[in-house]
Amino acid sequence: MFERTKNLRLSIIKQIELKASVFPDAISLAQGVPSFDTPVCVKRRVERALRRGVVAKYSLSPGLPELRELIEIQLEKENMFYDWEKEIIVTAGTIEGITASILAITAPGDEIIIPEPTYTSYREVIYLAGCKPVFVPLNEKKGWAFGLNEYEKAITDRTKAIFFCNPNNPTGTIYSKEQQLGLAGLAKKYNLFIITDEVYKDFVYNNEQIFSLAEIPDLREQVIRIYGFSKAYAMTGWRVGYVHSDEKIIREIVKVHDALVTCAPVISQYAAMGALEMGEGDVENFNKNYKKRRALICARLDNLKNIFSYVYPQSAYYVFPKIKINIKNAWDFSLELLDKTHVAVVPGSAFGNNGEAHIRLSFGRSEEDINTAFDRFDDYFKNA
Amino acid sequence: MKTFLKILLKYYLKYISKLIIFIHKPIIIVVAGSANKYFVKQEIKNRLLEKDFSVRANPKNFNTEIGMPLAILNLPSGYNCYKKWLPIVYSAFKKIFQANFPKFLVLSLGSSDPGDMKYLLKIIKPEIAVITEITQRYMEGFSDLNGLLNEYVCLVKKLNKKNLLLLNNDNLRIKSLEGDTKAKVITFGFSSDSDCQADIFKKIASGQNIKINFKNKSYNYNIKKFGKHHVYAQMAGLIIQAYVSEKIT
Repeated sequence: MFERTKNLRLSIIKQIELKASVFPDAISLAQGVPSFDTPVCVKRRVERALRRGVVAKYSLSPGLPELRELIEIQLEKENMFYDWEKEIIVTAGTIEGITASILAITAPGDEIIIPEPTYTSYREVIYLAGCKPVFVPLNEKKGWAFGLNEYEKAITDRTKAIFFCNPNNPTGTIYSKEQQLGLAGLAKKYNLFIITDEVYKDFVYNNEQIFSLAEIPDLREQVIRIYGFSKAYAMTGWRVGYVHSDEKIIREIVKVHDALVTCAPVISQYAAMGALEMGEGDVENFNKNYKKRRALICARLDNLKNIFSYVYPQSAYYVFPKIKINIKNAWDFSLELLDKTHVAVVPGSAFGNNGEAHIRLSFGRSEEDINTAFDRFDDYFKNA
Repeated sequence: MKTFLKILLKYYLKYISKLIIFIHKPIIIVVAGSANKYFVKQEIKNRLLEKDFSVRANPKNFNTEIGMPLAILNLPSGYNCYKKWLPIVYSAFKKIFQANFPKFLVLSLGSSDPGDMKYLLKIIKPEIAVITEITQRYMEGFSDLNGLLNEYVCLVKKLNKKNLLLLNNDNLRIKSLEGDTKAKVITFGFSSDSDCQADIFKKIASGQNIKINFKNKSYNYNIKKFGKHHVYAQMAGLIIQAYVSEKIT
């Protein structure tokens, strides 16, 4: 009974949010949700589609052709070349793309290597597929970088893929081209897939170049790249993203995608078209705000130097401070913080054992929320 | 109020664009179809740039009643923001007097409602037109495919015998448009009876290897893009490059 779900757990982030909901003055720095509303241009595109009555029916399973063509155009601008007809699938958010990809490329019992700390739901999807997550710790002292030797040591006969999020959630790390090419070398050597979730790739604060292994033609048959509109375009509720890879792989992933959701919600596909056609300015504007909030949250953390130390986040909207004071564990610390300050944070252990003794704070929230939360922290920790 | 301002803007941009075209007399190449307009347009632009012509193409999907005039004027869109539109409206007027207007305009034409094409063709008079594909796509404002086809009939009828029309020979609906035009027609496609024919189309690690036969010559290309639609773009680019080199230089 419940054999498939017995190892799955409900998201710790959702658990914290649920606990926070009992406090009327709660502030959440826990969920990775932008404080902004979806851009007006996206809403207008959807309104037009609704008025024309084109959203009520299924689309083709891989998605609306016009959206996939727009995605190909976008990818071309990012130095990635994929055929919209055969190599791009529009998905119900990134997590559906990840799930469909893992189910397509693995058999039960296979192993997938993931770094830790990393996004909580990867573990659940891997278990759901009947596979085993193998965690490789990131090196905090080196700015949460990959350790290539550790990766190679983790590879076994059952290893099927290396899976990572770039930029990384919760650390905000951008993996360098050299680090990624190192992983690509391992993937070539051991014939592994690389799954790269690049949902935060638009969070560029200082014109950083975020390299993707999907740019390399020679790796097309090994790299599966996933992107979602949720974060950059403030569209978490729309559930729309895409996956792309070589047609040989996409041909298999689309079978799972069709079985799981038939197609991504058509109304959301029109929203994604609006985002790609007209949302560029909104993304730039959001990033300006996030950059300010990053400076703010880091300045406020600097005022609590005796409590926290942290690696300055390069991208995404998270900072992942280490707790310097004596605590039992990050979960209890987060619960106590919530209880005493009514501020929700995510315990680092949610992102893997290597995240223990850390918390994740989101600066996707407004400056006012960040300031109020830290005013409460200041009060709470003043005697610590 | 919003609708009124939009109508005002639409007509303002229309007449400014007409005036600019009248003054500068660029050679206008249009790309129409329900798919692959962007890649064909880009390829034509690149081929003309290769020959050192000055070229402007519409950015993004600036191919509608407001977007296309903005492309002609080389201005950004203010989208839904009144504040952003104000400087654009001002700049549009100044564009009348601009120097160095490009010799070629490569414009994709969007048609999502009956009559859209007719409206766009009141602003521009193309000398070369390419019809890429007609499928069930972009049916938004059309009740059936025949309604959409009528938009392209409107385009090909607008061309005169000195003009050039490129038709995708692999699409029967597009092929049927040959009877509706006075323009010189060149067909392109994989079909063996195409004037410009894609002979080899092979996927390689770094992209695609393509062989195109045109006017008793073979052309080999290795491109880094994937998909059959890029082969059509190559053919359209090749035909227009050859035609322009022969007729216009």
